[in-house]
Amino acid sequence: MTARTPVLSVRGLSVRFLMPGGRRIAAVTDAHFDVAAGECLALIGESGCGKSVLASALLGLLPANAQAAGQARLGDLDLLAADERTLARTVRGRLIGLIPQSPAAHLTPVRTVRSQLEETVSALTGVRGRAAVRSAAEAAAERAAFPAGHLDRHPHELSGGLAQRAATALALVGDAPLLLADEPTTGLDRDLVDHTVDELRRHADTGHRGLLVITHDLAAAERIADRVAVMYAGRIVELVEAKAFFDAPGPRHPYSRGLLQALPHRAFTPIPGMPPELGNLPDGCAFAPRCERATHACTALPQQADGIACHHPHVPEDLRA
Amino acid sequence: MTCEPTATADPAWRSYGASRRSTRAVRVRVSVALVAAIVLAVLLVPPLVHLDQQAVDLSSKLLPPSWSHPFGTDDLGRDLLLRCVYGMRVSLLVGVAAALTATVIGTAVGAIAGALGGWADRGLMRVVDTFSSVPHLLLGIFLVAMFRPGVWPVVVSVALTHWLSTARIVRAEVLSLRARPYIDAAVSGGASRWRVAVRHLLPAVLPQAALAAVLMVPHAMWHESALSFLGLGLPTHMASLGNLIQGARGSLLAGQWWPTLFPGLFIVIPTLAIAGLAGAWRERINPRRRSELML
Amino acid sequence: MLELHDITAGYGRGAPVVRNATLALAPGESVGLLGPSGCGKSTLARVAALLHRPEAGTVTLDGDPVRGWRYRAPRTQRTAIGVVFQQPRLSCDPRLRLTDLIAEPLRATGRRDEIPECLAELAPAVGLTPDLMDRRPHEVSDGQLQRACLARALVLRPRWLICDEMTAMLDASTAAALVAAVEEYRAATGAGLLAVGHDQVLLDRWCDRTVHWKKLTAAVHE
Repeated sequence: MTARTPVLSVRGLSVRFLMPGGRRIAAVTDAHFDVAAGECLALIGESGCGKSVLASALLGLLPANAQAAGQARLGDLDLLAADERTLARTVRGRLIGLIPQSPAAHLTPVRTVRSQLEETVSALTGVRGRAAVRSAAEAAAERAAFPAGHLDRHPHELSGGLAQRAATALALVGDAPLLLADEPTTGLDRDLVDHTVDELRRHADTGHRGLLVITHDLAAAERIADRVAVMYAGRIVELVEAKAFFDAPGPRHPYSRGLLQALPHRAFTPIPGMPPELGNLPDGCAFAPRCERATHACTALPQQADGIACHHPHVPEDLRA
Repeated sequence: MTCEPTATADPAWRSYGASRRSTRAVRVRVSVALVAAIVLAVLLVPPLVHLDQQAVDLSSKLLPPSWSHPFGTDDLGRDLLLRCVYGMRVSLLVGVAAALTATVIGTAVGAIAGALGGWADRGLMRVVDTFSSVPHLLLGIFLVAMFRPGVWPVVVSVALTHWLSTARIVRAEVLSLRARPYIDAAVSGGASRWRVAVRHLLPAVLPQAALAAVLMVPHAMWHESALSFLGLGLPTHMASLGNLIQGARGSLLAGQWWPTLFPGLFIVIPTLAIAGLAGAWRERINPRRRSELML
Repeated sequence: MLELHDITAGYGRGAPVVRNATLALAPGESVGLLGPSGCGKSTLARVAALLHRPEAGTVTLDGDPVRGWRYRAPRTQRTAIGVVFQQPRLSCDPRLRLTDLIAEPLRATGRRDEIPECLAELAPAVGLTPDLMDRRPHEVSDGQLQRACLARALVLRPRWLICDEMTAMLDASTAAALVAAVEEYRAATGAGLLAVGHDQVLLDRWCDRTVHWKKLTAAVHE
């Protein structure tokens, strides 16, 4: 539906963990999505739904007891088939810029922001020579709106917002076509969330970068995303334009609807029950036990069609043909 | 839009980190096998094999390794394989006893200093500093020199010089744990100082302390050997590994390498095996690896 | 009443992070304390929970002045206040199963015999299923663990609850479920609540009144 060429194209991505005693945990099941250049896709869902496992799979950072299947194409490269050497030398930093959850922990505490930026410039780009590296580092800081006057400070001397910008500057150095932000707003104030999110958005707006944001913060997702993918029990249950999701006509999957209704400025009522165990998923729709619309049909797995995987999606009047 | 039909067949799974995992598993298995072999030999050979390690046979002295004497014989014609096993028995006993004693002292001092803080902490840490300021082999020699040669003076000497690092590790661990919110939660739940220490702090530091203890066993064996080699450790008639090497000095100069090499290997191999095991254990108790699910 | 009067608190050398803060909660009242991260509101919450001794100021709990903090506070005062922290992972002893985690305050106060009854009542109230109760913290999600942390805070039936950014790490549905569980407990027992957070929408919706951090510290100087 989007004319732009996808930067990242994920097809049938599944990740499972083999646990002692032969238990299998299906953390991600059959995920399909694209991220186009200039676009921001927000992957939302509750903690433990598999969204950070998906991010780890893209970066090749799965632990040794994990297995993955499917494809995640970034240009000509299948991230899931790439070996550790390729991932380390060409993917992390160069093809995918990672914006971490807690920037303060991501930065080296004993070195200044400038020296970390310069090191990253030398490692990731062909820039050589002291003066050239220095100016490249300053340019990277400027792109992330990190003030030049603070470059010689250590991470602990920075406020939360500036630390976030420093981490973003590091992620931008390699000029990666895909930026991956894993819970970039956890523990930040609303103002700082808005600020961080707006800055991330700017990097997608330059038009040649795709942005994949993984978050449980619906307000942040609403502010930043072009499209929203809702994950439940390891599956993407709804993938839709952000405007249609947060405004009219609203989400169509009952889970997404429940998630939005739980927000304090909406009904503030929780979805009854708890998500199923990823190690013991039902054969049919995983949300059915908590769903008020569930019928006998829901004992079969809903196929994904038109961006939604549900037997009984909400069909607002204005969408009806 | 992405709306391909959902794959129903079992997809092709790919594993990660398999090679890393298998080399690690091999290393762990070799280490386990070596440690088990040594422990079994030390426990079973003396009661099962009715050979006298002290049996002198001057007609067969300093024989090179052969089928009847795989490690050769020493200058009094005693079988070196048998002597090594008996020597290992003594060295291991000294090593384990010293390591346990040192760990108990170190854990107690570190936990008390960390948990109480204030004056108790400062006082205990000054004691640690004082002990550390003296080279520990020197202090060990001084301690054994005060007693008649025997097993226990060596144990005491090694233990008293080796609890310091454990005390520091345990104290640091307790200090970092003390600031965790779960300790706050316990206090808020009405737990007494004693209960917090026993229920929350001690169980958290015990794996670290046990790891330190295991790593200290070979270290203590080396010290026993060093002291014995200097003639200050065990009485010379006891076949400890240090005594064996010490006794072989003369023959080494005469070109007979086996009375030195085999006891030496008996020190080096368990050291490597225990280090291999401890490495695997350290990875197990590392909390980051615990959450393999990344939930 | 839970009264904090002219509290100044900090961590050793350097400037105190809380200066001259005053706040009073009427019995059964719920108050939201709103402030940006790093402003010192968590420190004030720790003072109110008797977990951090202030450098100056007084705390009065139901008419009795507080004379000691942490282990020095009498057990009856300490356990009159239940606390829930922001990060469930750090607030749980990683070695304890969820059952033991929740029952720990009962064990610590010598009320072992009440454990089965309390757990049977609390686990469903916070939405924990029996199969989860036998797991250790690393085997459950953040949301499930925070539910256990809330159950632990409620197990001694405190007259006051202090929730320090309880929902900041959680998704919308779990957050709403936890808030609902707190409100259910308060409706049944009449307990008071101090909810600390940075989300005005949430605190306005949850609490009887919301106090801004700036007003709290300025009040004394007026």
